Amino acid sequence: MKIICLIKFTPDVDAFEYDYENNVLLRDKVKQIINPDDACALGFALQLKKKNPDIRIEVVTMAPPSVKKMMEDILRRQVDFGTIISDPLFSGSDTLATSMVLGTYLKTAEYDVILTGNQSLDGDTAQVPSQLAALLEIGHMSGITNIDEKSFINGAPLVEVDTENHIDTYKIPFPAILSVCRESKYKLPFVRYADLDLDVSDKLEIVDNQILKLDIKYVGLKGSSTRVVKTYVKKYEQKEKIIVYNNPEGIETVYRFLKENGYLK
Amino acid sequence: MKKCLIFFEKQYEKFCIDLLETVNQMYGKNFVSYALSIDADIEVATDKFDEIILVENRQIICHNIHMITRIVEELHKEIQFDSILILATHYGRMLAPALSMKLGTGLVADVTQISHYKDKIEMIRPAFSGKILAGIINMREDTVMMTVRPGVFLYENITLKRTKIWSYMPDKIDKPKLELISRRKKPETRDIRDSEILVSGGGGILNDFDSIDELAKRLGGMKAASRRVVDSGKADRSIQVGQSGKIVHPRLYIALGICGVLQHVAGLNHVQHIISVNTNKNAPMCSLADIVVEGDARTFVDSLIERIDREKMIQEKG
Repeated sequence: MKIICLIKFTPDVDAFEYDYENNVLLRDKVKQIINPDDACALGFALQLKKKNPDIRIEVVTMAPPSVKKMMEDILRRQVDFGTIISDPLFSGSDTLATSMVLGTYLKTAEYDVILTGNQSLDGDTAQVPSQLAALLEIGHMSGITNIDEKSFINGAPLVEVDTENHIDTYKIPFPAILSVCRESKYKLPFVRYADLDLDVSDKLEIVDNQILKLDIKYVGLKGSSTRVVKTYVKKYEQKEKIIVYNNPEGIETVYRFLKENGYLK
Repeated sequence: MKKCLIFFEKQYEKFCIDLLETVNQMYGKNFVSYALSIDADIEVATDKFDEIILVENRQIICHNIHMITRIVEELHKEIQFDSILILATHYGRMLAPALSMKLGTGLVADVTQISHYKDKIEMIRPAFSGKILAGIINMREDTVMMTVRPGVFLYENITLKRTKIWSYMPDKIDKPKLELISRRKKPETRDIRDSEILVSGGGGILNDFDSIDELAKRLGGMKAASRRVVDSGKADRSIQVGQSGKIVHPRLYIALGICGVLQHVAGLNHVQHIISVNTNKNAPMCSLADIVVEGDARTFVDSLIERIDREKMIQEKG
């Protein structure tokens, strides 16, 4: 069985600091990490490979060449092959253009199933997996919190999905894209001590547009129909407020407030 | 006249009607609204939309995204919608991107505000986990597509429309690529979006998160949580407030140990009163509050419960 794991490296958004004095977001010095949802998807694939050594795993990412080191670090965890899809022409792609690029690669790639994260930490749109499923005309399910291993090995996994009001179980035969979320708790294993310096350069390939041959009309900033034209810092509306301490007087103030506004019967 | 299609999702009927307010802000009154319903309850939508398109074939089940996508494609070919709005539910967030790929149209996710940029519609959404807001336009002259979180826009228009209802039947029916095996309802059925009072906990009360229950009970409200609490596994995602959770509009919001990063604040919409309890009185949440209590959230909860109970006892004795 061949699994492709689609991953993305994102800035560690939660580590961004906010300068309230100057109303700016401090994005420097924030390190890149593997998108947490994607790490779960890959974690599941590796967990399965441990029990079924025949499984081959390819990790695919679309990113600038600078992710090479991080990618090598991932390849040291029993991943068979890594592909970085990278070309300056692709930079500035919105989700649809990104899906065009990834989809063009995936159309020629060999796989039984594609595992990926539900959404990225930075974009948070969850669009790419669904767009790919539409392009490749294969099944897709998002928000997966659990994958049944046995049925997965048999090519028609039962997946558990947390929709807002229900826990649903779907059967989704291969080929398919499964979007796994953090609640799944699948963990990316650490690199084994013996493999810390493993040379994985022969397992890594860079694919550019000379190989993919996409019409530049459809990729990069020019090929993207959605464009960010403004960014706003959400203004905190200052209210007239009362500041109290957590002492009997403070509690009394809160109590009175609740009473006066009808929150206490 | 602009033509706008709203995907009318089963079980989210009220929130779908609210999308009419989004369209209002896009075009003023100058539009024709279409609702596409697959097996939803259209009774509540009659009088609100200009047209309701029903897909009634039993074989077309809602989770067959490929089929629904094709239906919208076919309708679009005929009617040429200027915009397509889909609710950002679990289902909508799968349908909208699939549709955008089929139509070759750009898509903006989780729009929270509408503005105008030159002659274009500007769709504003939180970015970087809600730390900033990004205004996004569609550069092309084609259809504007977006998803909108339930509860962000509220439709209050009372003008009644004479709704035209008609059925649509696609030529062929595709086999679904997946199958629903079982569905179980989550135990917590009350929706935090329906609660007038929310007592919400964040990182500052993470270790005593369950202590919130008692306070919520005494106030007749519901418990809610920040993303940090949900990510730590102490609360279910169904009670998460914020950009990646639910957008709520209670009358009273008590924030216990919630710092109030933008991703959280993005979930508060038209809240009348906010009480923020935090060891740091300069936390962003506090600048939104009517009352700031500087101090430990757990101690606050205990003291306030005690105060409420004391009064109750006096009343009962008297």
